[in-house]
Amino acid sequence: MKLRKMMIGGAAAIMTGLSPVAMAADVAPAALIIAQGGLGDGSWNDTANAGFEAGLKKTGIEGRPVESKDVASQGEEIMRRAADGGFGLVISLEWIHGEPMEKLAPDYKDTDWVIMNQTRKGDNVASVVFAEHEGSYLAGALAAQVTADTSIKGINEDAVIGVIGGVKAPGIDKFIVGFIQGAEAINPDIKVLVAYSDSFGDPAKGQQMAKAMFDDGADIVYQVAGGTGIGIIEAAKAEGHYAIGVDTDQDSMAPGNVLTSMIKRVDVAVEDIIVNYADGKFPGGEVMDFGLAQNGVALSDMTHTKDMIPAAYLEKVDALKADIIAGKIDVWDVSTQGYPDFFK
Amino acid sequence: MSDQAIAQNNGVVPDAIGKGFAFVFPFIAAIFVSGLALLAIGENPVDIFVLMANEAFGTERRIAATLSAATPLLFTGVATAICFRSGVFNVGVDGAFVLAGLAAAYIGFTLPAAFGVSLIPMAFVFAALVAAAWLYVPGYLMAHYEVDEVVSTLMLNFVALGIAGYLVNGPLLSELSGNNVTPLIHEAAHLPRLLPPSTLHAGFFIGLLMVIAYGIWTRRTATGFEGALVGLNQRFSRAIGISVPGAIILAMVLSGIVAGFGGASHAMGQLHRFVEGFSPGYGFTGMAVALLGRNTALGIFLSAVLFGALASAGTTVQFFSDIPLDLVNIVEGTVMIFAVVEISRLAWRRRRKAA
Repeated sequence: MKLRKMMIGGAAAIMTGLSPVAMAADVAPAALIIAQGGLGDGSWNDTANAGFEAGLKKTGIEGRPVESKDVASQGEEIMRRAADGGFGLVISLEWIHGEPMEKLAPDYKDTDWVIMNQTRKGDNVASVVFAEHEGSYLAGALAAQVTADTSIKGINEDAVIGVIGGVKAPGIDKFIVGFIQGAEAINPDIKVLVAYSDSFGDPAKGQQMAKAMFDDGADIVYQVAGGTGIGIIEAAKAEGHYAIGVDTDQDSMAPGNVLTSMIKRVDVAVEDIIVNYADGKFPGGEVMDFGLAQNGVALSDMTHTKDMIPAAYLEKVDALKADIIAGKIDVWDVSTQGYPDFFK
Repeated sequence: MSDQAIAQNNGVVPDAIGKGFAFVFPFIAAIFVSGLALLAIGENPVDIFVLMANEAFGTERRIAATLSAATPLLFTGVATAICFRSGVFNVGVDGAFVLAGLAAAYIGFTLPAAFGVSLIPMAFVFAALVAAAWLYVPGYLMAHYEVDEVVSTLMLNFVALGIAGYLVNGPLLSELSGNNVTPLIHEAAHLPRLLPPSTLHAGFFIGLLMVIAYGIWTRRTATGFEGALVGLNQRFSRAIGISVPGAIILAMVLSGIVAGFGGASHAMGQLHRFVEGFSPGYGFTGMAVALLGRNTALGIFLSAVLFGALASAGTTVQFFSDIPLDLVNIVEGTVMIFAVVEISRLAWRRRRKAA
């Protein structure tokens, strides 16, 4: 009998736990569904969660990140539970949730839904896409300038750079094509080596492949391969050449050997959405394009390398960035335009 | 010690109570250990466990979510138990499940939609063929060349993931997506949902059918009985004329068929396509299900539901508390450790056989 009372009391205490805070902010709480890989990945999930926490702090909204080992197949159940449980904003970082989200969103008109890296329909669904091709363009332009300057330590005479993608897929080739286009904008005759590691979690393979590229005359290799890329950065350090990081600021993983990182500011996007939501301006039904103009993609601060890169090169990169924002340069987007003639 | 075991089997302690205790004990231990972990991070364990129970079984919708999460485990649990009871330590169910899922999805999106509902049996048969052939190989190697099945099946998991990963990143990649997924299967090939909007689908009944068929096979058929004898004593089995290699290969092939149905059910009923991350380790959780269920049909069903409950409630409980997913991992890990008592018995048997 006593145990039963305790159980009921306990349940009641937890059930009411959320509501006082939510009422204080007068906005229903927000949920962030963590993608495969989980928190602690040092990349996509962690970056998004940082933006989530920043957004909550700024607005005073209550919110929680949610992890699942089986996030692919439980997605629909998790999302419905969030809406049934009184959450007003549900952001999913898992790509595979796009399909079910589009289907279930009409059942939950009072909840706002956000999906990343794809475009989904629905009055209460906002789609977030990143212009990774724009950021990669700048990385390519910087690499093409640096590879031609033998006065920089670790740079050879060959105008050769490389890029290693995790898989051959449009989502990855979007980076690669932007990178090539940026490099060719500086030097039309530059040779860009392209390879795929067929994995996102194999640093040893990344290291081998990067070493092979360095042996073939490349001195800068752009990694678009997640965890496999850790090996690419290690190879750059071991061989005294350069890697370019991706998604998060990876410059300090091998200080001085990571030329720059092409950062995807999913934190900026998530924070921006929460602020809009709190203000009652949720962009339902819209596609939010986070590019250079929105600070959604950017090159890193280059803390460890900016002193050895001639200022003129960085100015050129800034000029190209301004031109892209102004619409004077069109960067090819594989995800919406398909494959260009120069990259099949 | 062994006298005691014999005494138990002779009915001094009723077998059902012994089995029931063996089933419940790992959970009691897990609740105790995770309760300590909760106390250590300053949470009230009672509150959290009540909340978890509510998230797992509190409403019809939550029960449906739990059963939905349990569905793949019914298949992988049975697939594992078929081998374990014959002393075949097959840890390759996960790889077979994944390849079967890809095979089923392939049928579901390449054949014309005009085939309609008949796509479902075709996909199930093809998936079962692929998975059975996949596990036949280590079965044959073990039966005829004494290749250690733990090593071969474990390694084959990586091969299976590699093959599936290659295909879903290359030849079978959906052109429409920026991610590693195949196209969606035709709508006609979807297994129907049982309690919409819940994701619980007809695959759950197919899984139940597997559990029941397994129960009948183990208790009522000659080959099922022979499999158990081979698991208990290979020399004796040989002496009375049972083909030990035949029993081993049969166990592997049956295991493959059930794992194959599981992969097909998951592809046609749950995800409607093949994706990278198709199985978050259902095959390995299936081992825990078989061990905890002591290879009995009822035990497997209950264990699968419990692990399904942990998976579904362990996630949604995070909406209403600050409990991290790690807690669920602690519970699962503890259950497995205490359920593994069964593994040590199996290992003991292997040593004795070698001696």
